[in-house]
Amino acid sequence: MRLRAALPSITVPVALPFAPTAATLDAAIAMLDGAGASGGANSPAVRRAAFAAYALLPVPGGYPGRSWRYDYAKLPFDDLRWTSGRQRVATMPFAPLPADDAAVDRSALATDNAGGLVHLGATLLEAPGPTALDPRVVVTSLAAARRDYADLLAPVAGTIVNPHTDRFAALATAFQNCGAFIYVPAGVVVEAPLQLLFVNPAGQAAAVFPHVVIVLGAGARATVIERYAGDGDAFVCGIVEAHVGPKAELDVVTIQQADVEARVFASRAARCERDATMRWQLAELGAALARSVVTTELADTGARGEAAALFFTGATQHVDLTMHTAHVIGHTTSNTVVRSAATDSGQGRFFGNIAIHKQAHGSDAALRDDALLLSKAAHIDSVPALEIAANDVKAFHGATVGSVDDEQLFYARSRGIGRADALRMIALGFFEPVVLRFPGERLRDEIRTALDAKIDAATEID
Amino acid sequence: MSLVISGLRAAVEEKEILRGIDLVVEPSQVHALMGPNGSGKSTLAFSLSGHPSYAVLSGSVKLDGEELIGLPPDKRAKAGLFLSFQYPAAIPGVSVANFIRTARMAVNPSDLPPARFRKMIFEQLDVLDMDPAFLSRYVNDGFSGGEKKRLEMLQLAMLRPKYAVLDETDSGLDVDALQSVGRSVNALRASEDGAQTAFLIITHYPRILNYIPADVVHIMIDGRIVKTGGPELANQIEREGYDQIRDEAASSIA
Repeated sequence: MRLRAALPSITVPVALPFAPTAATLDAAIAMLDGAGASGGANSPAVRRAAFAAYALLPVPGGYPGRSWRYDYAKLPFDDLRWTSGRQRVATMPFAPLPADDAAVDRSALATDNAGGLVHLGATLLEAPGPTALDPRVVVTSLAAARRDYADLLAPVAGTIVNPHTDRFAALATAFQNCGAFIYVPAGVVVEAPLQLLFVNPAGQAAAVFPHVVIVLGAGARATVIERYAGDGDAFVCGIVEAHVGPKAELDVVTIQQADVEARVFASRAARCERDATMRWQLAELGAALARSVVTTELADTGARGEAAALFFTGATQHVDLTMHTAHVIGHTTSNTVVRSAATDSGQGRFFGNIAIHKQAHGSDAALRDDALLLSKAAHIDSVPALEIAANDVKAFHGATVGSVDDEQLFYARSRGIGRADALRMIALGFFEPVVLRFPGERLRDEIRTALDAKIDAATEID
Repeated sequence: MSLVISGLRAAVEEKEILRGIDLVVEPSQVHALMGPNGSGKSTLAFSLSGHPSYAVLSGSVKLDGEELIGLPPDKRAKAGLFLSFQYPAAIPGVSVANFIRTARMAVNPSDLPPARFRKMIFEQLDVLDMDPAFLSRYVNDGFSGGEKKRLEMLQLAMLRPKYAVLDETDSGLDVDALQSVGRSVNALRASEDGAQTAFLIITHYPRILNYIPADVVHIMIDGRIVKTGGPELANQIEREGYDQIRDEAASSIA
């Protein structure tokens, strides 16, 4: 997504040409040891072990469909620049904007928020001045957290997303160059969302490896919005891991509107303790290739996982979404709903997996996935799966892939609504059940506007 | 100025259902089209509206002089035709208010600022005994049979067509719902800008005609209009059913 807001210019002292090689990793580690770089949080040993895993782990993707154009074993990494650092700026870009100011690009990069972090490429921006943040709440870079909050970070970082089980989680761990740590202590409720912004600056092809760790103490509540935006063919490969304490409630909202040249990968996972609630809301709208693996571990009785995801691929965009829910123990509940559409040569695939472990009696799981194909070359694969090892559980899964229903279209047209407008109305309505799961009318309207713009941009809607 | 159907033949899945329909509906008239199940009444309704599954083999439909055959469904609606569906489709995710506003803007973009639209739709909800909460529900999604028919009538009232085809609007309705349908149609006919609206009421039973009196009654059997008369013809059907007319029609063809 192109940003009209003025970005501060950043000076990157040293940058490496990125390639997923041992030599590049050595150079990166040497650079992080030097002066000026401060985004690094992982130790050299952790990085090297993860890189060894990267080399050995299977290439994800299974058997791509006929029209799927990407092979994860042969991704090009030419011209990408790896760097790490922080920079002070006079004022923070993307501060909340007045809702009625039509003159500014009101992508809700301007969502009302309670504070957060902004990264340009892998460079953390720091502005002077007060923050709206509750002083009990920690929002800081992962590198600073490693220094200042080691006791809070250590039990969580690297334990919820295991970098040794997914090739790109391993790559993200090896080359981690930015990130955030969010800590909401027991009993604290943060009403406005905390926002993490990852923006690729124009004219650069940044290799960005964010690692976000979120820890909520017992009974805490927070909403974290992560946004991916900017220009150019960035490669973003990140990790988001969350530990949701007993009776805590966490919403993680992802709005991915990266440039159509960019590749944005993420491994996201949450572990939910007793009576905790985790809600994922994911909107994959940008990027040439987006891959997201979302895992929810319901680790104790009464834990609840809700996941709502949407994607809309146009042009030659690809989205690859995997959602796992693990009912480790009984009397846990999960609900996953996915809506996707594709037009032009847009491609998508969804793997949904619910695992109900042996001791998880009394679990209740539902997985629903619907895909809408709006052009002849568009393609979406949907593979929902249930693995049930316990008795006495409630589990539902269902999936549909189809085009716009002729009777709906005729009904709308019989009221005078032209074909294009009727298709737009029906397609936007199709996404509503997932849009409604996002928090706040302003964010929902932003997503509706973005979906509408995707229909505008399509050359074929049928 | 009239809706003129001449020599209309139409097929569904290559089976000819309408076998030459001639019918003229003048502004402000109410015509009833009656007939047994399978006689082709709904096929006529869909053929008039331009449903893609109904192939017009020959004939013409002129709305105030404009040929409708060959036009897409939305152009027919813009010309002034409205079909109240027997089984309207659900459009999940699209609210009733949004749907009707979009439709109204499409058929008549010139007038009606938002405040007046709002006032008008609330008045019509009142006529139809509908809760305003209805407006934020999704179009026909999870609606009862009665709610669907009321929504059709709400659209009729908001779109103000020149010619309205009501396809089995009475089927499945209880007396209360039927009364509100009657009230809605009669309120439209009594209004200044609805007085010219003409109706073609397709029905199996004459019951709805107690609420919306017909000027002309047609009997359709096997894809043809076999008899046309005044309101007394509906009463005859009520007493005798379709058998006698079917026999008359059969002998006249033979």
